[in-house]
Amino acid sequence: MNKTININLGGYALIIDEDAFETANRYLMTLSRHFGNDEGSSEIMQDIETRMGELINRKKGTRIIVNKLDVVEAISVLGTPEELKDIDFSESTTESKRAGGSSFQIKTGKRLYRDKDDKIVGGVCSGLAAYFGIQDAIWVRIVFVVLALVFGSSFIIYLVMWAIIPPAKTVSDRLEMMGEPTNVNNIAKMIKDELDQMSDKIHDKFGKKGKHYKDQSKDDDSDQILTSGWSWDCRSSRHKDTKAPFNKKDFV
Amino acid sequence: MKAQMRKGVLEMCILSLLSSEEMYTSDIIDRLREARLVVVEGTLYPLLTRLKNAGLLEYYWQESNSGPPRKYFKITQDGDSFLKELKDSWQEINDAVSLTTQNKQVHE
Repeated sequence: MNKTININLGGYALIIDEDAFETANRYLMTLSRHFGNDEGSSEIMQDIETRMGELINRKKGTRIIVNKLDVVEAISVLGTPEELKDIDFSESTTESKRAGGSSFQIKTGKRLYRDKDDKIVGGVCSGLAAYFGIQDAIWVRIVFVVLALVFGSSFIIYLVMWAIIPPAKTVSDRLEMMGEPTNVNNIAKMIKDELDQMSDKIHDKFGKKGKHYKDQSKDDDSDQILTSGWSWDCRSSRHKDTKAPFNKKDFV
Repeated sequence: MKAQMRKGVLEMCILSLLSSEEMYTSDIIDRLREARLVVVEGTLYPLLTRLKNAGLLEYYWQESNSGPPRKYFKITQDGDSFLKELKDSWQEINDAVSLTTQNKQVHE
């Protein structure tokens, strides 16, 4: 049994198996990362999506549901990122562009938010720490406290910042705060981390009061289902820190 | 070197294909694949976009009865004159290369 997903791939309405969708999605994401620096990359991606939709639509014929084989075949016609990575049609060299692009992204990628998950008063200090890449928010807090004791001004500054800096509400806010690019892999990883934290909390809670709750085992079960549902994230986010999956086998 | 050469030749071939008729992207790809110039399609899209941005090509949308509208490419006037220049320099290079390689054979 397989779940199906309705997608619009470059203007083609397709019903696609979940695993086939994942393959297609990962492929397109890797490509868009690859073409990310070229001018008109969104146009290129649109063309490729349309062509991919056309290829899949033709391959599937009268069948209703697109399977993984259709996607893999379309990818082999379009070319894996491995086959495409050597061809760079932009004017400047790839390395300088890559290097320039990534450092630029780190600088502009961050936004100042208040970190509500790591707060003592309003999360201003932890937000500042994340923004400036300081590992532990305690140093920012110490500076604020010392300034407050010596001048008293940082107390007012804190209140003003508390008022004007928005809190990091959504997952993508949090990623922007950390300076990580907002893509599906990162969001999935973030959600998984949060779920892990939540399940730890649940375990702690029920671990202490375990004797009083007869349905403790039931909670454990539901918790497992909750986390196992995200198991595919582990796979997709595995590549986050390494380079993009350029190998053919990643897509087959 | 090899990649650079391929890139230049590919540009010329695309312009030359489009100088005789207006074509849909996958028709261009089919023709290039027949000539074994392109192995995978993905390489072509960045190239077409770049040629279009350079003003050598333009495209228009045409309705299709088997799916969404299709992008048809055609060559611009700039593209036409650029193609002529390319063909001239191609001829020069071709002559030069055949001359030197023939000389080499004679010397050997």
